[in-house]
Amino acid sequence: MFLAIKEIWYEKLRYSLVMALIFLVSYLLIILTGLSSGLANLNKSAVNEWGAKTIVLDKDSEGRLAQSFLSNQTIKSTNGTALSQYSSIVKSKKGLKENSTIIAVPKNSFVYNNLIVLNGKNFTSNGTALVSDIFKKNGFKIGDTLYLNNSTVKLRIVGFTPHATLSATPVVYTSFTTIRPLNRGTINAILTVKSKIRQPKNAMVLSVEQFINKLPGYSAQKTTFNFMIGFLYIIIFIVISIFLYILTIQKLPNYGVLKAQGIPTKFLTLNTVSQSLIISIIGVLAAILLGFATTILIPSEVPIVINAFNIVSTSIGVILMSLFGSIIPIYQIAKVDPYKVIGG
Amino acid sequence: MSNLVFSSVNKIFGSGSSRYVALKNIDFEANSGELILVVGPSGSGKTTFLTIAGGLQTPTSGNVKLNNKTITKLNKREQTQLRLHKIGFVLQSYNLVPFLSVKEQFDLVDKVKKNNASAQELDQLLEDLDIVSLKEKYPNQLSGGQKQRVAIARALYTDPEYILADEPTAALDTERSSEVMRLLKELAHKRNKVIIVVTHDMRLKNNADKIYQIIDGKMSLISENL
Repeated sequence: MFLAIKEIWYEKLRYSLVMALIFLVSYLLIILTGLSSGLANLNKSAVNEWGAKTIVLDKDSEGRLAQSFLSNQTIKSTNGTALSQYSSIVKSKKGLKENSTIIAVPKNSFVYNNLIVLNGKNFTSNGTALVSDIFKKNGFKIGDTLYLNNSTVKLRIVGFTPHATLSATPVVYTSFTTIRPLNRGTINAILTVKSKIRQPKNAMVLSVEQFINKLPGYSAQKTTFNFMIGFLYIIIFIVISIFLYILTIQKLPNYGVLKAQGIPTKFLTLNTVSQSLIISIIGVLAAILLGFATTILIPSEVPIVINAFNIVSTSIGVILMSLFGSIIPIYQIAKVDPYKVIGG
Repeated sequence: MSNLVFSSVNKIFGSGSSRYVALKNIDFEANSGELILVVGPSGSGKTTFLTIAGGLQTPTSGNVKLNNKTITKLNKREQTQLRLHKIGFVLQSYNLVPFLSVKEQFDLVDKVKKNNASAQELDQLLEDLDIVSLKEKYPNQLSGGQKQRVAIARALYTDPEYILADEPTAALDTERSSEVMRLLKELAHKRNKVIIVVTHDMRLKNNADKIYQIIDGKMSLISENL
């Protein structure tokens, strides 16, 4: 650590530049990880709130809720909570509009009981709705009436619930009777809290994870983000490798002489590891601070989630990549022969 | 009493048509209080001799003993420890770490070896070498002669029994060269060190107690001023 700190202090400009680069790439990583989590939540947060473990869908639905129409036979033979879904644009009298997913579940089912009420209350009677808090952020209030596009169905907001988005649209929870004029009583899915259930005839059984992965665009979006994030980790690895490699090559004669003077190789290689750690820790700490500042300053419409898990995983990733980046320089130091430096 | 003994040492590089004999059947002895000069033209085997003496290379055959202990059979770690505790190297260049001040060059040694010279002893050493005012300077702020004096102080800081110097005056003018050699001689005589200097600079011969010559890998004693 002694040599590492002294060298960084002596070569302030050089090390500041590489720290700035690690900071910027780490910041980009934090933002991309946050966006990936935020967009993933927009797709799936409602599903997680339901508290189900398995979901029964029509066997020809390709795992898509909207394309699933369960038969009476399947509904009768499966023990669980029925769920209906309908997509519509809802409007308020004041002209506010929201593209939303309307979900109907039975009152007092485990799904109904798992819904968190942020303000107001859960829906109780027909024509009432517990709606995503996104409605609240967009100006809707408890007591407002929601008008469904091209329909005479009306809903009165009685409460707001957090984490209620499905396929990037806010969810409106209401009763089956309320949406019967819209979907003619179709049951799209049956949710159960059992990890394994017998597969009913003409139906498919998916775990919640499988169901989420089949949400429209979810896997493609996740893969795209993972690709970008993975690529940034590779960039960090290459940047640290090249930087430390060049610095090490420049100092090889000094390392040779230090070895000749009896300074152990381990001491010298630890110096390089320490430098790599210092660069990455400073870079990632600055990135975390700017990341948090960004979440405060960025418009609330941007679905970014910077939580402890994202911060810790990104930090560990950056530090690990930096450590891997010091492997080649360490190898250079280990193999430098003092005799060759001195000559002969 | 410290002594370094080479017995029938040979060093051969390569094999077949690229076979090159760098040292041929070397017998050599250096004792405490001696400043020994090893001279010879470039490529004669001087540095090979010095690096074998310092445990940086092993001979192809023969034996090297330091204080009656065979060093040719030591493993890398033991050789590193030997150099750290018993041997001080002064080289032509790259002696000093460029990003450490003069004082920090000694702090670095403290990080890997305890019981070095005390702060007062270090100050005295730097004063003897006339570099006490340079403690806060970095190597790029020093002249060639100042750098070599710092390198000598750095080599002496661990109080080694042996100082092996490779062309320590190559970058210095005549006056500075004489100054460095006078200093090395004083160290050998007053501090009872074994000091071996390899050089092709015959201007240094007046300060040596013994002068050996290496030509084409063969070593011979050419002068003894006892």
